[in-house]
Order: sequence, then structure tokens, then C-alpha cells
Amino acid sequence: MNRRTFLRHGVGSVAGLAALSGCIGTPGDSGQTLTVAAYSSFTGDGTAGNWLKSAFESENPETTVTFQTTENGVNEFIQRRSQGAPIDADLFVGLNTGELVRADQQLDDSLFAASGDRIDGSETVKSALDFDPAGRVVPYDTGYISLVYDAEEVDEPATFDTLLKPQYENELLTQNAEGSDPGRAFLLWTINQKGPDGYLDYWSQLTDNGIQILSDWGTAYEAYQDEEASMVVSYSTDQVYYHGDDVDISRHQVGFLNDQGYANPEGMAQFADADNPELAREFMSFMLSEKAQAEIATRNVQFPAVEGVDPGGDFGEFALEPPEAVTYSYDDLVGNVGGWIDDWARQIVSN
Amino acid sequence: MRAKASRLLPVGIAAMLTTLVVVFYYPVGSVLGSAISAGGRLTLDPLVAVLGDPFYTGSAHSLVTAPASLPGRFVAWVNAGMPAVDFGLFGFTAYQALLSTIVSVGVGLPGAYLLARFEFPGREFLRSVTILPFVMPSILVAVGFLAMFGRTGVVNDLLATVGLGPVNVVFTLEIVILAHAFYNAPLVTRLVTAAWESVDTRSVETARTLGAPPLRAFRDVTLPQLVPAILTASVLTFIFTFLSFPIVLALGGLQLATVEVWLFARVQNLELVEAATLGAIETALSLGLIYIYLRFEATQISTHGQGQLRSRLPLFAGWRSMLDPRRLGVFLYCLVAAVLFVGPLVSLVVESLTTPNGAFTLDYYAFLLAQQASAAVGTINPLAAIINSLLFGLGALALALPMGVLVSVVATHEGSGSRFAEALLTAPLAVSGIVLGLGMLRTLVFGTTVFGHRLTVTGPIAIVAAHAIAAYPFVTRNVTPALSGIDDRLVDAARALGADRPTVLVDIELPLIAPALIAGAAFAFAISIGEFDSTVLLAEGVDSATMPVALERYTANRSLGPNLGPATAMGTVLLAVTTGSFMLIDRTGRRWER
Repeated sequence: MNRRTFLRHGVGSVAGLAALSGCIGTPGDSGQTLTVAAYSSFTGDGTAGNWLKSAFESENPETTVTFQTTENGVNEFIQRRSQGAPIDADLFVGLNTGELVRADQQLDDSLFAASGDRIDGSETVKSALDFDPAGRVVPYDTGYISLVYDAEEVDEPATFDTLLKPQYENELLTQNAEGSDPGRAFLLWTINQKGPDGYLDYWSQLTDNGIQILSDWGTAYEAYQDEEASMVVSYSTDQVYYHGDDVDISRHQVGFLNDQGYANPEGMAQFADADNPELAREFMSFMLSEKAQAEIATRNVQFPAVEGVDPGGDFGEFALEPPEAVTYSYDDLVGNVGGWIDDWARQIVSN
Repeated sequence: MRAKASRLLPVGIAAMLTTLVVVFYYPVGSVLGSAISAGGRLTLDPLVAVLGDPFYTGSAHSLVTAPASLPGRFVAWVNAGMPAVDFGLFGFTAYQALLSTIVSVGVGLPGAYLLARFEFPGREFLRSVTILPFVMPSILVAVGFLAMFGRTGVVNDLLATVGLGPVNVVFTLEIVILAHAFYNAPLVTRLVTAAWESVDTRSVETARTLGAPPLRAFRDVTLPQLVPAILTASVLTFIFTFLSFPIVLALGGLQLATVEVWLFARVQNLELVEAATLGAIETALSLGLIYIYLRFEATQISTHGQGQLRSRLPLFAGWRSMLDPRRLGVFLYCLVAAVLFVGPLVSLVVESLTTPNGAFTLDYYAFLLAQQASAAVGTINPLAAIINSLLFGLGALALALPMGVLVSVVATHEGSGSRFAEALLTAPLAVSGIVLGLGMLRTLVFGTTVFGHRLTVTGPIAIVAAHAIAAYPFVTRNVTPALSGIDDRLVDAARALGADRPTVLVDIELPLIAPALIAGAAFAFAISIGEFDSTVLLAEGVDSATMPVALERYTANRSLGPNLGPATAMGTVLLAVTTGSFMLIDRTGRRWER
């Protein structure tokens, strides 16, 4: 932690109590420091976050970009707001539709400011990815949820209904929709296909056919690599990691059920009480520039959100886009998503 | 001098209680409070909502919703031939915890027998590393277990060579229970070994001289002295597996969800009242169990004199000795232990040297070196993480040992309420880690405004305090039985000769219970090294990151593709560093013991 952030977060120490370290917040000199809140893997050696920091700083020499990472994602800021604790960041990076719905449902006043049309370049974002009707969140990349399967073990499952056939028994791994992004996307995709009245019935058939629901993507993918099953819910970018002569490409086939993929766009938004709203918007605008979009895509291994950007390299060559992208909008999810997921989880656990 | 020294005890207790209140009771209370209060008023609504929901409590829900109907339902159930009753999520969680406890004790006890009663090369090393599983992050245990017990794992390969199998245990209750045994059987082994090693040889020999056959001497003399340790270990195992969380979803899947899994999901959805209610019920059940156990323990501990320790039998004494049924049993046990404990750990090391295609690689270690060399913002240096882990571990050890001994002194004090006090002071074992983490976030990390200043409690000292609080109950659970086993006459004699209470404690009692103290110290260190939830919350940026935090960050790093290679390399480092530390603790402890 450098000296500036040290002062900014007002870390001091309180003498006295035996086993305490303390921090005293003081209104710091914000100056030209932009604080970006993100999940912890956004920053670090070789990440999109670090590239953005150095590129933005070199274009704006008087500006310093610092990261405030959290283990709990946007939940930490929702709780800070509802408890009246300070939010020492200017913008949040890495927000998806479900999280925005949750933030709005928990708080009376929005956590984020409407700034969409004041951000240069926001009009270039693919409209299909735009998920915030109030114009607060601007998507900067997206993943497409799909199946990854082993072509030597199973035929490509063409539709959701084929997954119920005996040849796919005990062959599908997914993730807990309550805690995992791809798991949630897959569940929402099934609701999109089977309808809010039909998805539970479909899932009870999936369960009968031996679908396994693990905690997170990493665990499920590890189990897939250990050949515990021949299909795993994952991303359509799988072959970006796995291609070339020393790779058995049949184990990395991407399957688009019903010729679709479920889009899970990630967005960014300026906090309503940001110290540096203008700087935050400049940074967001920078993230939408063609150069930044290509870098974010290759470093995050996600598709650019801006129309017409080709990231090139391995990503350009090996990332597969579904013929048709489906996703639920904010308005579809609001008031529904909590109940959908809760009913689903209760059915799985009670089984 | 005497007056000054005797004031040390109350001062120590006051300092400890202050720390406990700030880093534990206040954060936990701030969360659990919402289970019983709303808008400043006491309410039972959240509890009734959970207990009256058949999803949570199954058939028992009518206890809350329609108590009057119970006798009728009971008669109907008996008439129906007493079919299996479903007790919902709580019922399933308790059921798997019970099975896990039985298996953990079954696997752990022979280990204690081997370590306490036999002499063989490497015995001390083996004893030092028994609690290694304690520090293993669940994601790596899952990796090791898949490699051992998976469809294409080592066990199935071995079975296939003798024409058996394959056995499919992945995603079943069986593998979750095995994983629970992996974590908890070492706890049983370590606790019971410490007790077994302090069994007085004279009492056993007296029994033998009076004509008791070995088995009878064991049953009547040795076993009663082991029962407190066995029961302590069982109660702890039950509580830990009752509160089990990440390993369940990693190896078993959502169908086998425990209450804690469900609680975590409620926290993620910010349904905090329901989460708090689940946490409060878990805590009440766990604390209740601890209290009942402590009441029982108080009646069990027999004073054992401070005689000679029994000499161990050589494990290898010529080829003929190999046919001895006891030794045969021990060898068979070693085979099981090799598969269950050594297997997953070795698999982890192997995975850290293997590409997804099965080829040898050093890439994952090169990754660690690259992280070490990098000065990029937000990068966790492995070496810094190792040093932090060791420093925090030492700090936690230094705090947890006196805290644990203090609680033991309170607990062994003859007086009404001392068992109740100990149960309350053992609460860190009985509270869900998720509830504690949420509480810390909302109080210590968010802070509070005092005289216009924002006061937060984070950073290294807060981390050490949090680790010490998670660890001291382990010291207490090792020390209390040993301390109450000391012959009162020794203490009385010292007091009569003019020694005050602290002097008696330090000069007489502690040296007498050295094995229990060393075991407690090793546990305290292990808890600190393995701790993740509080550490990651209280760390300010990457500067206070520990080995498990580094490991978790490396799992999300995709620079070498979507695999856990970098994490397994860091896990191997974690294993090596921890093994060295345990050996050092045991060696230092034993020098002091002599």
C-alpha cells in the first residue's frame, strides 16, 4: 500500500487496548486519485485491472488509479450504504444483472449514479448487452455460458431435452446458482427455455438423470478435467486456453444448446456519492475505447461489449460466439429472480 | 511480590475478555441479534418462521406450528410401523455429522494407539504432522480426493489391477464423510494420543500384577483415562461437521447441502434475518452440546498420579512379531491411513507437477517465482504470504496459549457455574464461520464513528487476535482434562509452602501437563495457518495476505489456463512450511518438557 492510499483510507492506530489495531478515518485529499472497487482477481500481475491502471495513468499523468478489492463483491457496498458506513470508491467494476437487481431491492436510494449517456462511447456498446434500464451500469465485457463436452464420450447435446436422455445420465456438471455466476446463468437459461412454470419440472428430470451441482466453476471444471463427467457448464471461450498440437481438442468441444448461449454481461457504474464523478466517467469511457476493449477481452478471456472490436490473437481465433445469445433483462429479473432461485434450491436440497 | 503476582490472573482474564468482546462477541452478537429482535423489540417471529418450516425441520415443524396435533401424529406414526422420519435440513445436517463423527473416531483411535503405544522410526515426525489436514484449504482437499477416489483415481486403478471396481463415490454422502474424517480423525488421534501418553504405567502394571489380562487392564485402567479425550474429540468433530461448509459442495454437490451451505447462500442474497436465525439455531445447538458434555466431563476425570509414563513397544521386533495380531492390525490400519491421509496429500503434490494432459511440468512453481518477482499492484508475493502466515501463527500461538490455560483454570475451579462459563468461553468453536465473518465485516471493517472519527479494527493485530480467538478453545480442550487430572495434594502442598496461585500454575501444574500444552500449541498454530475467512476480511490489501489467501487468489488466476495448478503449487508450499513448523513446535515443546 503506498503512502497516498495509506492517507486516503486514513489508517492510524489506537494505542491502549491490548489486541486492537485501529483506523481513524480522516477526510483525505482526494486530488486526482481515482479509486476503483472490484473483485480481487481484477487486479494483480498481468490482469486487465493493472493494464487499465498503467494505460490510464500514462494518458492522464496527474491521475493515480488505486484499487479497492472486496471478497464480497457488490454486497459489501450494499451493506456499507445500508449501514451508513463510508464508501471510499468512485466506481464499481464487475457488476452483473442479478447483482444490480439485488442492490436496488435492498436499498431505497440507488447505490449508483445514472451516467450512461454522459459517458463517451457508451453508445457503441452492443444494445443486446445493455441491462440497466436506468442507464447507470455500462457493460464492458460479456461471457457466454455454454457446455464444454468430451466428444469421445458423448455426442453433442443439441437441445435441453436431449440432456434428459439416458446416454447423458450422470454426465453433466453444473454449479450452484445461489453462489456461482455460470451456475446462475445456466439456471436462468433453463427458465428462459422452459418458462417460470416449467423449469422446476425440467430440473427434477435433470436431477433424476444425475446432474451434479457443485459449489463453483473451478471445482466443477476440475472434476470435469478429472473425468468425473463428460459435460460441464462453462464458457464458450474454452478453446482459447486449449488449442494446438499438444491438446486433445475433443475434450474441449463447446456445445451451444438450442444453438444458443446465455450472455452474462459484466458492467461498471459510478457510485452515487463518488468523490470524483467526472474522473470516474472518464475512466469508464476509457474502458470502452477500442484498445482497452481488446485488452480487457484477452486478459479477462471475455468478449468485448463494444460493437466491432476484434481482440485478435488467440482470443480472436479460438473464442466461439453462440449463433444466438439469450439473456434476461433487468425488468425480467426484478421481483422474480430471488423466488426462482430459492424455489430451485429448495427443490434440489429436498430431493 | 506475592500480592503483585496474584493480581496477574484477574488482569489476564480482563484483557482476554476485552479482546473476546471486541473481536468475537460484539461482531457475532451484531448479526445473531437480528434473529431475536426487530426494530429494537424482542421477537420470536424469525425463529418460528425457520423452526416451523418443514424444509428446515421436517416433521418436527409441527412442534412449532401445531403442537396440539403431536400426540395424534405420534400414534399414527406408530400405527404406520414407525417409518423413517424426515427432519429436514437440520435433520440431515445432524445425521451426516453423526456419521462423520463415528467414522472419524473409528479412523482416529487406532492412530492414537499406534502413536502412543509403539516405538518405530519416524514416530515423532508422524505425531507432529498428524494435524496437517487441519490447515488444508477445502479446494485442495477436493483436488486430492478426486485424484484418489475419483472415477479415474488411484484407488480405482488399484482395484482394477486386482479385478475389482470401479467404485463410484464422488458426489455421494460417502465421500463427504470420508473428507470429514480426513479433517477430523487427526483431531481424534492427536487429542487421544496426548491422553494416552499421560496414562500412569504404575496403575496399569498394578492391574496386571493383580492378574488382569491385558484387555481387562486396558478396559478397566487405561480406557477410563482416555474417555474424556475421546468424548472431547467426538463432540468437537460433531460440531465441526455439523457446521461443515465448503467441502460439502465441492465433493458432494447441492443435494447434500448442510445448514451452513444454506446459510451462506442466504448471506449472499443478503437475506440476513434468515441467515442470522439459522446461525443462532446452529450456535444454540452446538453450545448446548458443549455444555452437556462439560457437565459430563466434570464427573469423569479421575485424578491420576504423576507417575512414570509407559514405555512403548517396538513396532518391529523380528519377523515373528509381525504375526502378532496387534501388529497385524496396526499394519492394516497403516494401509487405510495411507489411502485416506497420505494419498490425497501426495496427489496434491503430484498435481502441482503435472499438466492437465498428464505431462511433467515445473510451470506452476515458475508461476510462484513470477508472482514473487512481480512488483505489480495487487500481486500477492508467495514469500511475503509465507512470512505473514508464520508471524500470525506465532502471534496467535503466543496469545492463544495463555488464553486457553486461563479458561482451563476457570473451568477447573470448583464452583457453581464454572462449566457454564467454560461453555460460553468455548463459543468460538460453536459459531458459524460465515456468521463471524459477516459480523466482522459489519462491525470491525465498516467501523463506527467515535467523536467524529471513523474507528475500524483491521490489519495484522486484528488478524492475530481473530486467529487467537479461533484457536484458544483447542488449547482449553487439551488442557482442561489434563489440569483437572492433577492430584490436588500437589497443589495444596505448594500453596501450604507459600506459593501463590500463578506460581503454582507456572511452576507445578504446567510442566505436569506438558503433552497437553504442546498438543494445544500445535492446534493453535494450525488453526492460525489454515484460517481464511477472517484473514481475508481483516487484511488491508495484499500486504497482510497469508498462504491460504494467496492460494485462493491463485485459483482465480487464469494466466496458465483454467486449472488449479498454481494453487496446488502454493498448497505444496503450504504443506512444506506447515510440516516444518509442526516439527519445530513439537521439538521445542519436548525440550521444555524434559
